[in-house]
Amino acid sequence: MDELRNVIVFVLGTTRYALELRWVREVVSLGFVTGVPTAPAALGGVCNLHGTILPVLDVAALLDQPPGPPVRQGDGALVIELDGVVCALRVDQVENVGSLPEHEGAIVDAGGRELTLLDPTALVRRAQEVLTAATAEQP
Amino acid sequence: MSDELDFDADELVMLRQLFRTEAQDALEQVTARVLAGGTAKPTPDALTEMMRVTHTLKGAAGTVGLAGMVDLAHRLESALAAIGREPSPWTEATADLLVEVADGMRAYLDVATEPAGEAAAEKLRDQIDLIVRPDRRRESVPPAEVEPPPEPVLEQVPDHVPAPEPKAFLRVEPERIDELMSSAGELLFDRTRIERRVQLLRTLARDLARTRQSLRDTLDAEGPPNRGMLGETESELAGQAALLSQTTAALLDEIEALRRTIGELQQGLTRIRMGPARDLMMHAARTLRALRRATGVHVDLRTIGEDTEFDKAVAEQLADPITQLLRNAIAHGVEPPGERIARGKPAAATITLRARQDGNLLVLDVSDDGRGIDTVALRERLVATGQWSATRAQHANDAEVLDALLGTGVSVRGDADELAGRGIGIGLVRQTVAKLGGEVQISSIPQRGTTFSLRLPLSTALAQAMLFKVGGQVYAVPNVHVVDTMLVEPTETTVTFRHEVVPVLRLEKLLGHTSATDRRPGIVVSFAGQTLVCTVDKIIGPREIIIKPLGPLLASLTLYAGATISGSGKVQLILDPAQLVHRAHPDAPAHAITDAASAPLVLAGRALVVDDSRAIREAMTSMLGREGWIVDVAEDGARALQMTKQLRYDLVVTDLEMPQVDGFDLIARLRKDDRFRTTPIVIITSRANPEHRRRAKELGVRALVAKPITRRKLLEALAAR
Repeated sequence: MDELRNVIVFVLGTTRYALELRWVREVVSLGFVTGVPTAPAALGGVCNLHGTILPVLDVAALLDQPPGPPVRQGDGALVIELDGVVCALRVDQVENVGSLPEHEGAIVDAGGRELTLLDPTALVRRAQEVLTAATAEQP
Repeated sequence: MSDELDFDADELVMLRQLFRTEAQDALEQVTARVLAGGTAKPTPDALTEMMRVTHTLKGAAGTVGLAGMVDLAHRLESALAAIGREPSPWTEATADLLVEVADGMRAYLDVATEPAGEAAAEKLRDQIDLIVRPDRRRESVPPAEVEPPPEPVLEQVPDHVPAPEPKAFLRVEPERIDELMSSAGELLFDRTRIERRVQLLRTLARDLARTRQSLRDTLDAEGPPNRGMLGETESELAGQAALLSQTTAALLDEIEALRRTIGELQQGLTRIRMGPARDLMMHAARTLRALRRATGVHVDLRTIGEDTEFDKAVAEQLADPITQLLRNAIAHGVEPPGERIARGKPAAATITLRARQDGNLLVLDVSDDGRGIDTVALRERLVATGQWSATRAQHANDAEVLDALLGTGVSVRGDADELAGRGIGIGLVRQTVAKLGGEVQISSIPQRGTTFSLRLPLSTALAQAMLFKVGGQVYAVPNVHVVDTMLVEPTETTVTFRHEVVPVLRLEKLLGHTSATDRRPGIVVSFAGQTLVCTVDKIIGPREIIIKPLGPLLASLTLYAGATISGSGKVQLILDPAQLVHRAHPDAPAHAITDAASAPLVLAGRALVVDDSRAIREAMTSMLGREGWIVDVAEDGARALQMTKQLRYDLVVTDLEMPQVDGFDLIARLRKDDRFRTTPIVIITSRANPEHRRRAKELGVRALVAKPITRRKLLEALAAR
């Protein structure tokens, strides 16, 4: 029996992903992006979100795929929040929001195509690992 | 009564209070300058300065309608002018007289609006005359060269304005508070550094647990024959990992407590700088009056929340944005009376200024009841000026369109007029508010009006930082660690700074840009006794910044101590001076970098202190800690046994009399455990009899120390063999 999930479907590069809505705090158009030298490619930069520092992550790089283009002002992003960590995932386009069935870890869209259901906890943990590793490598 | 001075009663009380403070300062300056000269005639410079403050005083007195004070200040100014001329009426007695007059005028300030005031003024007038004409003892004829005083601008003060209750204030120079604020800001940096290291520890603890788990899995797969010793090591490792993760969790809690305390400290300091929003509202009232006269637009001001407390420095900075928003409301928001009446609104518009606290924010709303912002027209203008594409304008919702107004260069009205500038004004409002760490929100309802909300943080963690540019981005470094700036040649790897050879750190290289080939500015940074020069593209200069934490995700990026947000809303990274020093002096021992003040710590090992008195446990922890021991404590023998099952200790210090498992009991059981067969054990007790000593010897106890414990006794016991 497939379970229905409230998800936001977005496109990144040539891939479509789904993320459960409950993790998404807002969908924003990024302000000025400050690059963070010495940080790994998974960290696209930091932005000012309502006066706090918002790290912008590259989902592709976190999934060990080639990183996307540099994050720029005006790019779309999903602000997610879990375990006290607030960060943004850069997206190329938000496709739609809706209730879609989950089938064996993947979301099946209206056209019957399967898309990856992102696990934000794993993403954030991966980001933490990548950032820590990058720091440890430095002299 | 002049139109310019239609203060209401409350306003007048308020203004006069401000005036009193100002006047006290001015007159004190006069006194100080006279006293500085002894009985000699003040220098021309000193006289000029005294005349200047007296003149300012006269103007201010006029503004608040204190005619008597205007007259006195005017006379004093003329007298000072006379002293400066030749022949000067200066005699040895003049200095005393001047001081008397200045003091007398200060006293007069308190009674100026009371019946007693006139007599005091009369006496002061006589004294001032005496300065100008020392020969005319006690004759109260106004000096001829004094022009008639300006006409009093306010009539006699209305009776219903109560004289403000004199209140005792502690007057502190703002710089002193700023220094404290800056130290508190530094604490935040320190805390961030500690937190980051603990976060790393936590990661380490997790790794350790993971390694232990894989060891466990391997052992389970191997089966019982190989389990023996390794199994024991594995369970020990489990205990250590658990303790490490517990300790780091506790540390994080303590850091959180530290954060709270620093927050309280900052709040306390901020409160010293707080004042009611009333001053700001007064400013708005005056501005609006001027605007009303200039434009003829009839608009009333309503104020709500005058008692809301604001940082005085913040309030000062908000004066211009408020002025801008008022101008904006009059230029763009308020319709002509005819149109208002046609729409069923009162002919006179109302602007409401409302101050309130919303959680951790101070909110200042400026609302008008005008036509609202025409978002359709604004969309058109955004497209017409090329700032937005037609598609974007079409898809954006109203809130986004209004937000665009906060950028620069868009005006709602087609024609830019003098009053509200070219819409740049609102951009400046946003910039000023952003500099203060806040944001601006706009809401507008067609035909009902527009509200600008300035949302500002209640407490600001301000710190001084040196700002500079590298690779097109602005960075900051805490100013307390900046010693100087200098020019560095492209080939130099070290420079001589104050007779010391210090390394050059090429920041452009560290921050991932191509190495520069020209002579460039360098910032001399000193941290924990180590100095270096960082080359940068351009030095911007010292600025007051608000420190923002990078958050848990970025905590491991050790190069950065935090970030700040610029006036235009951009994030600027703050470099950690400790890291810069570390990178320039990679050979320096780590402890010298982390803490130059404390001596290098030799880790002696892990000790367990068992005692039912908390005071003793704390004392022992501190004493042993100073000797380099990591100390765990247990409140009785039973707990100690539990702990020794998880961890091996290099030293056990125990009391004898304890509930449940007593000291000897504990030692006997430990000695049966292979891991503790030879571990040094020290007994601390208040009752040491020969029987105790005999048993202790039997159990291989290293020493028996009588309470009270001193450091010397403890060291002797540890050294005993």
